[in-house]
Amino acid sequence: MANRAQVPTNNSSLIAMIADEDTIVGFLLAGVGNVDIRRKTNYLIVDSKTTVKQIEDAFKEFTSRDDIAIVLISQFVANMIRFLVDSYNKPVPAILEIPSKDHPYDPAHDSVLSRVKYLFNTESVAGDRR
Amino acid sequence: MEEDRRKDDEDNKLALQFMDSLHNYLSLTHSLSSTLRQGWLELASAKHSMGTSRVNTSVLDLKSHSASTTLKITENDDGTQPQFTLQKWVSSEHESTKLEDKNEHPQDSDTKSSDNDEVRKERDKSLSVFGVLISPKLRATQLSFEKALETLIDIANMRSSVLNSFTQLHKEVEDTKE
Repeated sequence: MANRAQVPTNNSSLIAMIADEDTIVGFLLAGVGNVDIRRKTNYLIVDSKTTVKQIEDAFKEFTSRDDIAIVLISQFVANMIRFLVDSYNKPVPAILEIPSKDHPYDPAHDSVLSRVKYLFNTESVAGDRR
Repeated sequence: MEEDRRKDDEDNKLALQFMDSLHNYLSLTHSLSSTLRQGWLELASAKHSMGTSRVNTSVLDLKSHSASTTLKITENDDGTQPQFTLQKWVSSEHESTKLEDKNEHPQDSDTKSSDNDEVRKERDKSLSVFGVLISPKLRATQLSFEKALETLIDIANMRSSVLNSFTQLHKEVEDTKE
């Protein structure tokens, strides 16, 4: 029998966010904001002063917490840490790339579509037919 | 020959499942973009009427508080993928009460009315961070982003489905090559 990774279940998990200010404000209005007793939030506001290291650290922190189910990340921010995002492969938390006000969604950079485009690669299909 | 035909049917079924889930994933991402655009527009209107200094992240409450909108993670039927369910506006005073869980059993009208009051209370609490007198556009922004959250949860579940069917199809393709 093949080994299957166990899916962690949880009755009350958070949605983390790494995005621009307007997107964060919008989702906080929808009630997803959480601040723990150590004043750690479940979001990182990305602006012109935010460094790539800060984004990487936030991504690593959110993806290692077991109280977070989904990490929302603006696609333009994900592009800054593309290697880290594409090499992440755990089922939970799920990473969802979202558009931002100034950067519309680009399917060419979507990590899920990048993974599955192999099946539409003409070389791989031609290889089967030889 | 019969076995080959059966295998072909299974492969076709897998391919169709994959294409279906991919199509749904792309439709949902398109719908999300549209909803978010609406939300950003409404937020810009709210900022215009209330003033940018009142509607920004510097007014956010950094005192310890729990999220009102959370997620429940369960396993799907075959236990291979996570299934996400949105739990909107769960009162921090009554954390065990799921106010807008889609899987809730039917309620009587008194309970529903009380739940709606709780939801309104939680929504107002979220809006009150930006002051007492708020623009109707800010309420509209809240509703748009709530809708965006629902779409995002559908995307998360569809994503699991896409990756699962891709893995199965990829395995079939590799087995065929051998």
